[in-house]
Amino acid sequence: MSWLTDPVGEFTDLTRAEQGVTLFVVAFAAFLFIGLLSGGLGPSYFLFLVGLASMYALLSLGLNSQWGFTGLINFSVAAFFGIGAYGTVLLSASSSPVREALLDAGVPGVLLNPVVGLVVAIVVAGLIAVAIGIPTLRLRADYLAIASLGLAEVIRLIVLNQQDWTNGSAGVRGIPSFFVGWPVLSDFPSAMPEVVVDLVPGGSVTLSPPLIDWGLTFGQDIVLGTPFWRALLNVSLVLVFLGASYGVLRRVHRSPWGRVLRTIRADEDLARALGKDTYSFKMQSFVLGSLVMALAGVFYAHLNLYVSPGDLDPITTFYVWVAVILGGSGSNRGALFGGFVVVAIREGTRFFSDLGSIIFDVGSTEVVISLGIEGGPMRLLLIGVIIVVLMRFRPEGLLPPQRELIWPGTVDEVPEGPDVGVRDARGGTDE
Amino acid sequence: MSEGATSMRERHEGADMEKEDVVLRVDDLQKRFGGLVATDHASFAVERGTITGLIGPNGAGKSTIFNLISGFYEPDGGRVEVNGIDVTGREPYEIADAGLIRTFQTPRKLEGMTVREAMLVGPRKQPGESFVKLFTDPEGVAAAESANLAEAQRILEEFEIDHLATQPATDISGGQMKLVELARAMLADPEILLLDEPVAGVNPTLRNDLAEQIRRLNEQGTTFCIIEHDMEFVMKLADPVVVLNQGNVLMEGPPDAVQTDERVIDAYLGGDA
Amino acid sequence: MPLLEYLANGLIFSSIIVLGSIGLSLVYSIADFANFAHGDTMTIGAYTALLTFGAIGSLGGAVLGLPFGFFVALLAGIAVAALVAVVTERVVYKPMDVGSIGMLITSIGIAFIYRAILQLRFGADFTRYDVQTLRPIEWLIPYGIRITEHDVAIVLSAAILVTGLHLLLQYTDLGRKMRAMADNPELARVSGIRTDRVKLWTWVIGAGLAGAGGVFLGLYNQLSPRMGFSLLLLIFAAVILGGIGSVYGAMLGGFLIGMINQLMPILTDYGIPIGIEYANAVAFVIMVAVLLVRPNGIMGEAT
Repeated sequence: MSWLTDPVGEFTDLTRAEQGVTLFVVAFAAFLFIGLLSGGLGPSYFLFLVGLASMYALLSLGLNSQWGFTGLINFSVAAFFGIGAYGTVLLSASSSPVREALLDAGVPGVLLNPVVGLVVAIVVAGLIAVAIGIPTLRLRADYLAIASLGLAEVIRLIVLNQQDWTNGSAGVRGIPSFFVGWPVLSDFPSAMPEVVVDLVPGGSVTLSPPLIDWGLTFGQDIVLGTPFWRALLNVSLVLVFLGASYGVLRRVHRSPWGRVLRTIRADEDLARALGKDTYSFKMQSFVLGSLVMALAGVFYAHLNLYVSPGDLDPITTFYVWVAVILGGSGSNRGALFGGFVVVAIREGTRFFSDLGSIIFDVGSTEVVISLGIEGGPMRLLLIGVIIVVLMRFRPEGLLPPQRELIWPGTVDEVPEGPDVGVRDARGGTDE
Repeated sequence: MSEGATSMRERHEGADMEKEDVVLRVDDLQKRFGGLVATDHASFAVERGTITGLIGPNGAGKSTIFNLISGFYEPDGGRVEVNGIDVTGREPYEIADAGLIRTFQTPRKLEGMTVREAMLVGPRKQPGESFVKLFTDPEGVAAAESANLAEAQRILEEFEIDHLATQPATDISGGQMKLVELARAMLADPEILLLDEPVAGVNPTLRNDLAEQIRRLNEQGTTFCIIEHDMEFVMKLADPVVVLNQGNVLMEGPPDAVQTDERVIDAYLGGDA
Repeated sequence: MPLLEYLANGLIFSSIIVLGSIGLSLVYSIADFANFAHGDTMTIGAYTALLTFGAIGSLGGAVLGLPFGFFVALLAGIAVAALVAVVTERVVYKPMDVGSIGMLITSIGIAFIYRAILQLRFGADFTRYDVQTLRPIEWLIPYGIRITEHDVAIVLSAAILVTGLHLLLQYTDLGRKMRAMADNPELARVSGIRTDRVKLWTWVIGAGLAGAGGVFLGLYNQLSPRMGFSLLLLIFAAVILGGIGSVYGAMLGGFLIGMINQLMPILTDYGIPIGIEYANAVAFVIMVAVLLVRPNGIMGEAT
């Protein structure tokens, strides 16, 4: 809250880890900004990355509300993501066999739009979460881990093999923009004028040796055309999803409901002895997280405009796990941060493995980046090492939840003195 | 020990089942683990307003009985009643709803919570525990939370541990944790509280504190049923005392009678064999 | 109907699953966590054998269509898988204090590290051992069974290993201690068993058997860095089916899951439209069904 008035004071008030994370975020933002200015990073591609990062953040929030809040081990993140993606495209994409069948059956085409797709995807994800929860949530935590990994495989196999529903390995194309048929927003990208940003009027500035070690040119004209506006629309959409999910999760996390979940995570028997129906709470937490994951899938489909069974590869699940553990299990802001770091890892390793050949010359947002492709072994190695090192040396993650979580407005007095390890609720607007 | 289980049972007079106002009635409870009989037709009753002690040598089946009563194990046979409601084989939360709350021998600490947060898990039926109400009735949730917090603070003060309220729950000593656990259980507003070895591993000073608190709460109307190894503690606090041996109720009586009973001494000596 | 052929294939595949599930079950009960790196331990065994066999060659004679050199490679696969597992346990798992769930998550990281290293060295593609591809055994063909001598070698070797383990568990001091620890770790500790040593041997035996399973899987199908992780789900299904902590349960579970997997074509033969591509899914559904009806391990957890 007082970051604007007293940034130095606020900064020194943070924990070491928070300071590190803040510096990292600032440095990374600066890096991207330089990339933008120098023209090395196209604005549309930049927005695509922001969209992707927000999507991972959304997935991380979903997993955090299962694992972080309640201690549920869900290894089917990719499956719920896939359910979200396929849920919306099977209804709305022009090449979807399901859509065709429904049209043949006389369902008016206007009903088969992405918003209805979103609702269907969410409902299906919820039903599947309940179905997998019934046999496993009464058992030890590791059973859910194994069963959910199995569930992910079953869903992937169905998507891959039921060609008459999903086109199988060919995937689904012809996906409309999420806003198709909406007033104004439907035509927004093409209606917007092309804008030329000319930071240095009449030319550009080049920093090059011997001034700095390598050449850097600033100020070439940046052209913002239809792809940019489309990307901007996409990013706005995912930020709405993200903001809404974050708002909901933050509220429930600090509520008595969230407190029961945290008790279950620490000691389920205690929660049971105190009269909590832990099975019901675990189910609610599991379903809630799965819905958020499906939401991420819905967004991905309309961002990428192509969905294939490769998107359900288990590796996606473990990217998200890394994000949550890195950010700090149980911490919503940690999940946000972790989501962005994972995209940095993905794109960073892509950058290093393709070094020399990669140029961010992407003028359109329709870059097809399939999430599922077996990333290079270096990326796999990196993910593995991060998991092991974190669990070994910092299992609580970088930004563990630190504030006392009591329903806002209930605690009015600020306790005196710093309590080691737990800091005080300070109105909580700046989490 | 020379006598077999059967001859042992013949000498059991069992518990007094003819009480006036019974909160907890355990009737012919049985539990087997594989070939091992852990609870062997145990029956006893806890009268309202008492502090009933439950003692017995190691392996007498005390913890098993607690787990059976509170719904953590499912009995193979028999019946448990709380406040006249049959709760046999129910889930722990349903039994808690009937008015029975239990504590554990070794309370795990709630990571990442302050003491008062950990306390706030106690109250049952909080409106804020309903996901929907968090959004449809935030004022109601806030009101209940304020009331619960005030109540938690009051109980912490009564227990004279209010200075711990904002400490991380992981930073307090084991003995203090036991106090907090008792205090939290009180927030659940139990009619009968089952305490599983409340003073195991607790230093003598805190031990006295706990005894005092239990007595005070009992005077205010809470019924207690306590498993405890510390004889001095039980005998000072509890009346009546129920003695378990080999999964069965050996006898029941006032502390003096129990302490001098030959069968009880036999059982304890035999328990070492 | 080629039922006999399905059964024969089931037996072969079961042998591989059994080798994997025994180790997983042992580690699950004695080290007390679900080891998601177990599948990749199998992969390590397979690739070690590939390297060794490539280096030493066939060494003259052959048994059941497999050169002597291949058996040496098999032993190398077992040894290296066991060694890697023991080193991992000493360097990573042992110093950790994160509970069984934290260990489970760590083991995922370990699985990725194993697989990534193999992939860096061998690439992501499928390969084969450089052994001659055999024709099916002549005299079995009239019965509708088309299996090769290699398949027989897999079943026999697995049988020898499993019998060896049985003898070890029943008749040696170490075996008795392992069973005691699997039954009740707490009790084993108080009764003065040196649990550290037993744990070490558990890793050696579990990972060694997994390594052997990996070698045979490579012989039965092909090798790829993903082979072990892909099999992991079936192995978990086998372990849960048999009951976690029971070695003999794991054998039975492995046998059943392997059989079911290879008997899948029967469904289509009988007109049930579930193709063999759903073999893993069926194994999973069976696992969930077992969890619903007989959730082993839930009792006694409450204390």
